[in-house]
Amino acid sequence: MEFDWSQQDREHRQEVREFLAAELPDNWEEMSRHGPGGDSQAAFSRHFCGRLAEKGWLTQHWPGEYGGRDCEPWRHSILGEEMWAVGEPRGSQYMNVNWIGPSIMHFGTEAQKALHLPKISAGDVLWCQGFSEPEAGSDLAALRTRAEKVASGSDEHYVINGSKIWTSYCNHADYIFLLVRTDPDSSRTRGISVLLIPMDTPGIEVREIPSVVGERYFHEVFFTDVRVPCDVLLGEEHTGWNVVTHALQFERVGAARYARAALTLDHIARVAAERGMLDDPIVVDRLGEARALCEAARVLVYKVIDLRAKGSPPTADTQLARVLSTNCDNAIGRLALEIFGPESRQYASYADNNFRLAMTAGVAVGATEVQLNLIASRFLELPRE
Amino acid sequence: MDFELNEDQQAIVEAVDRLLAQQAGPARATALGNSDTVEGSYDFALHSALDEAGFSCIARDLAREDGTPAALEAALIVEAVSRAGGVVAAATQLLVAPALLAEPPAGPIALCTRRELEQGTPVRYLAQASTLWVVDEAAVTQHNLEDVAVAPVRTSFGYPMGRIEATGNLHSVGELHNAAADARRWWRVALAVEATGTMQAALNCVVGYLKQRRQFGRAIGSFQAVQHRLSECAIQVEASRWLAREAAYHNAPEEAAAVAAAFALAAADQLFTETHQLSGAIGFTHDFDLHVWSMRLLALRQELDGVGGARRAVVDARWRDATP
Ligand SMILES: Cc1cc2nc3c(=O)[nH]c(=O)nc-3n(C[C@H](O)[C@H](O)[C@H](O)COP(=O)(O)OP(=O)(O)OC[C@H]3O[C@@H](n4cnc5c(N)ncnc54)[C@H](O)[C@@H]3O)c2cc1C
Repeated sequence: MEFDWSQQDREHRQEVREFLAAELPDNWEEMSRHGPGGDSQAAFSRHFCGRLAEKGWLTQHWPGEYGGRDCEPWRHSILGEEMWAVGEPRGSQYMNVNWIGPSIMHFGTEAQKALHLPKISAGDVLWCQGFSEPEAGSDLAALRTRAEKVASGSDEHYVINGSKIWTSYCNHADYIFLLVRTDPDSSRTRGISVLLIPMDTPGIEVREIPSVVGERYFHEVFFTDVRVPCDVLLGEEHTGWNVVTHALQFERVGAARYARAALTLDHIARVAAERGMLDDPIVVDRLGEARALCEAARVLVYKVIDLRAKGSPPTADTQLARVLSTNCDNAIGRLALEIFGPESRQYASYADNNFRLAMTAGVAVGATEVQLNLIASRFLELPRE
Repeated sequence: MDFELNEDQQAIVEAVDRLLAQQAGPARATALGNSDTVEGSYDFALHSALDEAGFSCIARDLAREDGTPAALEAALIVEAVSRAGGVVAAATQLLVAPALLAEPPAGPIALCTRRELEQGTPVRYLAQASTLWVVDEAAVTQHNLEDVAVAPVRTSFGYPMGRIEATGNLHSVGELHNAAADARRWWRVALAVEATGTMQAALNCVVGYLKQRRQFGRAIGSFQAVQHRLSECAIQVEASRWLAREAAYHNAPEEAAAVAAAFALAAADQLFTETHQLSGAIGFTHDFDLHVWSMRLLALRQELDGVGGARRAVVDARWRDATP
């Protein structure tokens, strides 16, 4: 047990910081306020990820045969920390490199690898994740979007009907990583498959769901008789649940949200200091508490990265880290409102933006309660009913 | 970066756990707590056993090549002693003392702030300690307690406590100049480590119980309302553990030490409240081990200005310079 960064890791962090200082445009701060799904950030991410790819960093943790550098997960996590700490200029592409690409490597055909992996590692493709449905939220295995195999001449196609909801980033996405039911007689986790589908396929319609979180944040994706060739199937038919479980096993902490929260907190504290608020013992108490929370989330995430670096099977440590990261996000989102006070009434002000980005943390990527259920059964081994 | 124990650390933890399995544990802690003598309320046997096994000076003995003490190994031992409910001043001995003196005094050391001494508040291990360190703004004053009248104080909070009857007899036998900041940093790490071990044991005790205890025809631990609260507790304990170990490893940097204490001492409150609430009436009795750890958590929360003091220290270390 030791908690030092290697010399190489420290150098990498420094290089990434210098790179960010050189690459981020002057209006980045403003751009990043809208989150990874915002229009300007989505456009910028294509340019930025291209630059990261040129540096060899975008997919440095991937195996050499797929254009990576076989770097340890720790190295990739340093990149993730530095990216989130400035507001994630990779936009939604963090998903591509963290889990969509690796799933294609693991389950994909040679043709799928040849089609998708070079695009992802070049940093010029946007993906979205089509899992949730109106009737399948926390209970994802209740999903009903149907992909039916139909023969047309000597060819076979899937015809997809149904809808997905809450799909982040899908307004800009080139592809959707789509979870469908391929066996109509199946229920729950059996009979589900993953399809990799271009978003411009006829029959796909995206509608925005207006929300208090921000503009173009939530979407519904409708599939009406969408015909796709059968070679979009990832992995074996009907075994999509395994694909998703494998893909997401570490993803719940894939986003270094604590790094973003810590940056926000530093900003809040500086503002508090400038306004003489550090004389107020309540403010001091809240700031100290929040800083401890950021650090606590960080160490629990590190624990998960350590497991991944050692190739250990996933454990409930992921859920521990996830819940604390959520608490951290929420606490700092609320604290910003308190420190900025009435100023935060202004839409898109610093505190307002942070608050809106943080407020969904306990629901996105699986509700906190579901994480707590998993901790109870897997970590504490408490009995089921 | 490596969160797994290496072979040497594994061996240390196993050895100390073996020793503690024989010489400590909740039954022994309860028995010592019921002792009506001052001597009998402190585990001098365990104290000596830890000395003899080489655990007490492990920080120095296993120091790294550049001389930095092996504080992580010391922390692992203190965590284990706390888990076992040991009634010994191991945290001060293993974590605070090596940072202040090359040759710390033998025998239990009690630790208090100048204000606590002046106000005559009960201090942990004071009645049994041979040395008292008083932490001032700038210096740490060392006192030999052999000829000083210290009265044991009855307390609800798990550790033996004492109070100096007449401070007139209290003479400094040395001042550790400029040591106060170091003492505070290490004291906070020590509190975080002790709180971690103590919280872990309290949680284990209650989780074990709630897997067995049945009401309404099912194990109470199967109710989701109960599970979520225990899961939240588990998160608090795990985070406290890694913050404390990391702070020890890095030799108690001011901010990290304060962060570890701020988090762990806040967690201690949650653990106290939840473990008692979820145990029902049995949890308040001497027949149930929970009290050995739970009551101590509240005592730990009062040292060195507690959570509030630690949070203030976090802000001072991280942002105070930013004040215009
Ligand atoms: C910002 C954001 C981005 C998202 N992006 C995507 C995306 O890109 N792709 C995608 O597929 N989905 C996405 N989602 C959807 C997300 O995965 C779901 O919102 C989440 O799984 C919860 O489902 P639900 O909203 O239907 O809540 P429900 O399942 O209806 O649950 C409502 C609430 O009930 C409680 N609850 C539910 N189940 C339990 C239980 N078993 N025990 C105790 N309490 C329970 C929880 O408090 C939960 O919040 C996103 C969501 C958000 C908020």
